[in-house]
Amino acid sequence: MKARTESPTIKELKFILTRIKKSPLSIIGIVVIAFFAAVALLCPILAPVPEGQEDPYVLTHFGWTSEPQPPSPEHLFGTAQWQYDIFYGCIWGTRTAFRIGIIVVAGNLIIGLIVGTLAGYYSGVIDELLMRLTDIIWAFPGLLLAMAFVSVMGPSLDSIVLALILVGWPSYARVIRSEILRVKQEDYVEAAKAIGCSDLRVITRHILINSIYPIIIMASLDTGAIVLSAAALSFLGLGPPTGYADWGQMISLSRGFIYKNAQDPLGYWFTWTYPGIFIFTFVLGWNLLGDAFRDILDPTLRRR
Amino acid sequence: MGMRAYIIRRILLLIPTIIGVTLLIFAVVQVLSPEQRAALYVTSEQQADDIEVIIEKYHLRDPVYIQYFIWITHVLQGNLGFNQKSPKGPVLANILNRAPATIELTIIAAPVIILLGIFLGVSSAVHRDRLVDHVTRIISIIGWSFPSFWLGILLLAVFYAGLGWVGPGRLSVDTDVFVRSADFTRYTGLYTIDGLLNGQLWVTVDALKHLILPVVSLTVQSIALIVRVMRSSMLEALTKGYIVSARAKGLGQREVINKHARRNALIPVVTLAGMLSAGLLTGVVITETIFYIPGLGSYAAHMALPPPDIAGVLGFTLFTGVLFVIVNLIVDVAYAYIDPRIRLE
Amino acid sequence: MEKTIESRELLDVKDLYVNFYTYAGVVEAIDGVNLLLKQGETLGLVGETGCGKSVTSLSIIVLVPPPGVIEKGDILLQMEDRTINLLKQKDRALMKIRGEDISMVFQDPRGALNPVYTVTQQVGEALLLHRKEELCRRVLQELERDISEANTFKRFIYKCEKKIYEKMMNTRERSASLSALSKIPFVNRYQGRLRNEIRKEVVRLLKTMRIADPERVLDMYPHELSGGMAQRVVIAMALSCDPRLLLADEPTTNLDVTIQAQILLLIKELKEQMESTILYVTHDLGVVAEICDRVAVMYGGNVVEITDTFTIFKKPSHPYTQDLLEAIPRPGKEFKSIRGEVPGLINPPKGCRYHPRCSKAMPICALSKPQVTQIEKGHFVMCHLYKT
Repeated sequence: MKARTESPTIKELKFILTRIKKSPLSIIGIVVIAFFAAVALLCPILAPVPEGQEDPYVLTHFGWTSEPQPPSPEHLFGTAQWQYDIFYGCIWGTRTAFRIGIIVVAGNLIIGLIVGTLAGYYSGVIDELLMRLTDIIWAFPGLLLAMAFVSVMGPSLDSIVLALILVGWPSYARVIRSEILRVKQEDYVEAAKAIGCSDLRVITRHILINSIYPIIIMASLDTGAIVLSAAALSFLGLGPPTGYADWGQMISLSRGFIYKNAQDPLGYWFTWTYPGIFIFTFVLGWNLLGDAFRDILDPTLRRR
Repeated sequence: MGMRAYIIRRILLLIPTIIGVTLLIFAVVQVLSPEQRAALYVTSEQQADDIEVIIEKYHLRDPVYIQYFIWITHVLQGNLGFNQKSPKGPVLANILNRAPATIELTIIAAPVIILLGIFLGVSSAVHRDRLVDHVTRIISIIGWSFPSFWLGILLLAVFYAGLGWVGPGRLSVDTDVFVRSADFTRYTGLYTIDGLLNGQLWVTVDALKHLILPVVSLTVQSIALIVRVMRSSMLEALTKGYIVSARAKGLGQREVINKHARRNALIPVVTLAGMLSAGLLTGVVITETIFYIPGLGSYAAHMALPPPDIAGVLGFTLFTGVLFVIVNLIVDVAYAYIDPRIRLE
Repeated sequence: MEKTIESRELLDVKDLYVNFYTYAGVVEAIDGVNLLLKQGETLGLVGETGCGKSVTSLSIIVLVPPPGVIEKGDILLQMEDRTINLLKQKDRALMKIRGEDISMVFQDPRGALNPVYTVTQQVGEALLLHRKEELCRRVLQELERDISEANTFKRFIYKCEKKIYEKMMNTRERSASLSALSKIPFVNRYQGRLRNEIRKEVVRLLKTMRIADPERVLDMYPHELSGGMAQRVVIAMALSCDPRLLLADEPTTNLDVTIQAQILLLIKELKEQMESTILYVTHDLGVVAEICDRVAVMYGGNVVEITDTFTIFKKPSHPYTQDLLEAIPRPGKEFKSIRGEVPGLINPPKGCRYHPRCSKAMPICALSKPQVTQIEKGHFVMCHLYKT
């Protein structure tokens, strides 16, 4: 019999790594996200900010003609309407996408954790009230409610982020609440309470640790959807002002340039292909990653 | 606990939920100042000058609960405010005007999503790990990640700009002129049906042609979702004991799949239906905007654009909120019909 | 009560080999099994978990789940006028045999029932598959009575219904026109008569299962039934079409002890009334003593000993059977278990599969698989200790 010298955490990690290696889709997801993360980090190198510009996210006009110009050595992906550099927009758009994704998910998690924990742990009236609140927000299709919020608040990147958080936290609250309800009944929680642990300690050390997997799965699956929603809102014109490095906005700029003329109908293809590819691959990567997490971390499916 | 009791219970639950919906909208409205709120009801230039009259009329400086009461009474009478952006006029009338285009789109999209999604999901599960399965799974994960607005643009690029088969809009230019003329009566507002009712089949055909691309753009994401869920729930159902039991009775594999496995596998899919109808309502906004279809979706997008027409945005949100609550009720009832265990709750 | 056991054979399993092709390797689950069932007798199939007894019964009804494959063998079933080899039948033929000639009862009663259909719907399904003709005949009789008593208008309707049922009675396969007819909303009310007949029949079956108040149970869903009740429904479903052979795969294992006793009693009564042939799979020797006429002991995919119940307890001959009986805890006796573990069947032990755990093992046991020897009439053992 081998002596048990490995700590359980190391064993867990090893197991997770082997599972990851066996699933090609997970590897693709990880690679894609790693690639985008690298792009986001290397923004200033890949697409240097023009001289004297303070805010790197603002797209400069390289000229004022309204007609997009095809790709060239100075503008690798070409220019969009009003001569915005598409390459610059796509690269810095990566940072925008990460910002939106991370902030919204973080916001959802924080609010969801607080609300879900209060509702699940204390039950009773608090639970009822908070769940009714969740129901009311859920009574609307998410993106439409977000649209309403953004239009009232005035369109900008911050409004989008805020609106998406306002619309998104109920799902997290519900999941966390149901996890807490499930774990609350376990014997080790009773034991912890019996030896006098304070509520906070019980919640953090015992309950949340065991509920963490479904939350990780949900957050990773959600990031892709959040970025898509933000891009859709941007596309509709409800995002940052024109001339911002944002993928959704760049696609909306390309709407008028689907058809060029009879000789060269798809002449402006570069305006709508490049930003679209960026969004699509980014979201695909997150979805694959989320799927991978689910397959690997779902306790009911493990160790088959 | 039978179906009837369950349905009655759910309908009763409807009322507080709808009240909750109105409360949320009302709360959003309260964010604005009384003058801004009065602006929702302005119908003409002179009224804009004399805003106090409107504030008086709608009690916009009164305590909150009175305001809510007044506001609700107006809503129930059909007064949702007035649009300042085109199309100008009463919000409710505009909404009802634009509804047919959206209805036409969704009536075709919904069955496509449901039937195609279920069919592909079942095939994928039944032929697990074979070509059908792999292809379907790849397509579904791609479809789920594809931004629907990008899909719409790509479709237009290929089929309109590239191949010249069909353009955006509900009808081609000539047909459009025709339906606005006196020779054509718009009975329902849905050109597919009106074409038949007027005896002008080519109008129906033209309308259908123009619906193909929008429907594809609208349905891809939802179909992808259904396929994924249906496949996994079908795979699970096929491992259950009652499958072998049914075969031991003498049922063939195909019958067992259709009669026993599928019904159980549908249960998780029905719970998705709420999410899917949300997706449909949202997708309509984007699809109508891209394809220049004058429906509720493009109305909402137009109203939300800065400077926003608050009356329009809120009117639309209220409308969809109530609609969505009703749709969820139908979904819950369908769920209880399929899964008798739910009726106990 | 005197019972004449006809010496006619019903089921003959010859040289059955079944493999499971799993990710971990090929599991040689069934390694040459031979069984003989006479009509009217109850044969117990005993063994520990993993010995292959469930797979054997699934093979008989040809429902071995993937990745299992029946490699070779013959399973001969004696029908009215001929013998057929179940392993050589086409799917269609098997569908007819299942439920009608052979049926099966499973271990988990609520798992065997589909949660979204009522008791009537599920038991009725079996009836519709195999006894449709008979049910239609009854409906037609009822229709004749109605026609004679009715007025002109109703008579017309009844005559139409009569035509439909006659068609239903005479078509064995699916008929396109009948399926179409059954979907039309108002017209398909004719099905009500058939449903009534089915309900009546299900009530009769449930009564045979000693279920009190069967009318109430008719419309219940599986989750509303208790474990014992559910198992009775499953047995009713299996016996609904009077099968020649009933395969019972540990039907009482998942039930409470008291319920277990009730179900066993029920099975005993049914045995007497219906003279059915039963293959009773179990790991519980006590159950075997209760209701089995003959017993086959399985280990590691082989039948190691087979004889009648009395002999197996009085004169167990195979070392495994002996060890098994020794291991039954008895008050006052020292607790003894069989040393070693049940072997994994991906790389089974060479030679006799029991030899690693056998206290009487000889050198030859590790080298070659023993032959089956008859040590007395009707008593067969597969062991090197007994050579002809």
